[in-house]
Amino acid sequence: MDLNISPEDIAFRDEVRKFLDSAVTDDMRRGVELTTAFINDPEISIDFHKALHKKGWSVPAWPKEYGGTGWSAVQRYIFDTECARYGAPMFNGAGRAMLAPVLMKFGRPDQQEFYLPRIAAGEDHWAQGYSEPGAGSDLASLKTKAESDGDDYIVNGQKIWTTHAHKSNRIFALVRTSSEGKRQEGITFLLIDLDSPGITIRPIVGNGGDHEFNEVFFDNVRVPKSNRVGEENKGWDCAKYLLEFERGGSLQAGRVRAQFTRLVKLIKAHSPDDPDIAVRMAELGTDLDAMEMIDISILSAVQSGGNPGPISSLVKLRWSQVRQQIAELAMDTIGEEALKWVGERPLYETLQLPPDEEELLTQTPRYLNYRAYTIFGGSTEIQTTILSKSMLGL
Amino acid sequence: MDLQYDTEHTILRDGAEKYLAGRYDYRTYQKIAESDAGWNSDVWTEFAELGWLGLPFADEDGGIGGGPVEVAVLMETLGKSLVLEPYVPTVILGGGIVSALGSPSQRQLILPAVAEGKLRLAFAIEDRGTPVQAKKASGGYVLSGAKKMVLGAPMADTILVSAKMGGGVGVFVVPAETRGLVVRPYRMVDGGRAADIEMVDVSLPSSALLGNNESAGATIELTIHRAIGALSADAVGAISSLVAATVEYTKTRVQFGQPLAKFQVLQHRMVDMKVKEEEARASCLFATLSLDGPTDRRARAVSGAKAKIGRAGRSVSQSAIQLHGAIGTTNELSIGGYTKRLIAYELLFGSTREHLRRYASIISDPAVASAGLLSAPAN
Repeated sequence: MDLNISPEDIAFRDEVRKFLDSAVTDDMRRGVELTTAFINDPEISIDFHKALHKKGWSVPAWPKEYGGTGWSAVQRYIFDTECARYGAPMFNGAGRAMLAPVLMKFGRPDQQEFYLPRIAAGEDHWAQGYSEPGAGSDLASLKTKAESDGDDYIVNGQKIWTTHAHKSNRIFALVRTSSEGKRQEGITFLLIDLDSPGITIRPIVGNGGDHEFNEVFFDNVRVPKSNRVGEENKGWDCAKYLLEFERGGSLQAGRVRAQFTRLVKLIKAHSPDDPDIAVRMAELGTDLDAMEMIDISILSAVQSGGNPGPISSLVKLRWSQVRQQIAELAMDTIGEEALKWVGERPLYETLQLPPDEEELLTQTPRYLNYRAYTIFGGSTEIQTTILSKSMLGL
Repeated sequence: MDLQYDTEHTILRDGAEKYLAGRYDYRTYQKIAESDAGWNSDVWTEFAELGWLGLPFADEDGGIGGGPVEVAVLMETLGKSLVLEPYVPTVILGGGIVSALGSPSQRQLILPAVAEGKLRLAFAIEDRGTPVQAKKASGGYVLSGAKKMVLGAPMADTILVSAKMGGGVGVFVVPAETRGLVVRPYRMVDGGRAADIEMVDVSLPSSALLGNNESAGATIELTIHRAIGALSADAVGAISSLVAATVEYTKTRVQFGQPLAKFQVLQHRMVDMKVKEEEARASCLFATLSLDGPTDRRARAVSGAKAKIGRAGRSVSQSAIQLHGAIGTTNELSIGGYTKRLIAYELLFGSTREHLRRYASIISDPAVASAGLLSAPAN
């Protein structure tokens, strides 16, 4: 047993670093650092996406025949870790990490051929149309309706908490096509162009001042039946399959370690001699090390052809808490500076201060926004109930 | 990168669990804890026959050449069974320092006898008041001073003693019957045994200095880190036993017409315990796999594990008692035994707070903080 990477992987890491040296610009880094929402705007990431695409690295996790890289688990860990270390931009996972696997499993060949390359190239930006005002954690109670009209559906209803709907050109949505039988059996999975007549997008501004989420209203929106994925009333299969990718899947250690490193630098600059801050920083560091070991143990199990088992379900639960606590300590570290507030967004366009002063203005918004980490994608309470079954057999 | 147990690890673990399940239940633990000696010589002989007492020693020293992973696998099972015999004092601390510093003849004299179960060791490290000093005298050395919290010293045949000499530090082999050596034994909270020792003008031959080495400070630190690694695995064993016992108990205990395990508020608390167990295990593994690595990495992983597992142990044992209700506060059940074991873990070799401070001083370098845990092997 060991934590070593092989000479081939070291060569790979050097290749990744060489690529990132030129692909990640100072503007991108600043954009990422001044992002207080969960994901940076696509304006920041689009050039990086294009550089990755040119290199053949834009969708590493996909199977090779769809444009994936065929990297080993360790190589993906190295790539993710290095991207985070370089402060490279992040991407909204809705298209690449959630919709793409659904299309590969349930989509028609013509849907795959049309949509997947556009996702890989960064030409399409997708939003996820799942939650509704009355259907949050209890997703199957969704009410947005699609009625048959010849070759089309007519969609009426409302989605909410739609991340980056205002930055997207398409949305995949769960809609109700039948109210017969079990609730799960009347749901259909549709692909909808966001510029269709009858769609209205209304911003939801968070406590942290960021406009990341939206309400999306559908008023007699005409959607061709050819935009359906899978069969009518079988959308719940797609939904469940997709949630597996939303809740687990990607490695978070690199990104959280980057967040922790920014905290370490902030403490050095603002509270280097405060023993309480140091102890809290150390506690978070040991949490991070333990969680990264759990990430790596999942990699190791997958690499040796096994199944990581129920431990993978605690990953979402704990990473979300660790990220919140890092944001909280960062706010505490700067004392009264945390009171200063700039409400205009995006900060990378609004602010024109020295970098260390700009950074101070991000801490309180980030703390406030990050409260949502333990709510979206299945709240902590839902995850805990799931874990009591999967890990404890209760 | 590989974090999977191989077949040999599984055989070691399953064999140890099977043997201890039949030999060392909670009543056995209680009897040994309350006995005058605090250990059982028959059990010790069986440990030798199982090959455990030479597990980490080199082949030529009468051992079987196990590394930190093998030690951790065994220690987790010892923790699950609350084993009181002085395994860490003899094999990891005493045996560890002799392996690392001893000359070939010193190793030959001590280690095969340890592996055969004929010699028990302790390692006196922590000074009490005036540090132990070694002065050169005709034909050897004279040692004076006092040490405290010497684990396993009451049952040790030979005590290894660290002593300041000139600008450095050396480790001396001191047989228990040596004139001028006074051992003041006491029982610890978990039933283990330790002693304070005093030395007044203890004369030793020059062959008593391990490896004739007068600058053993770094090796002593490494040996302490190995002991913390081993005790961390022991603590993970105790934590996992507490979680398992609590889940089992709440499945059978009926109140308000249903098992306690049906109440969501208790389910959630038990998930919290289980999550802490998994993080403790992961943290222990990081320490275990860092023991043979570069010094800074080792210190970071060991202090991190000590703090993380110490906190987890505190929290899990409190929850275990609470969820067992009144019976959890008695010594009828093993819950109290594990709780006390975890208190001992927390307090030995530096408190949680001390280790958090050490960890903080290492991690506050952004280059260290930002590096992932998978890394190129050190040359």
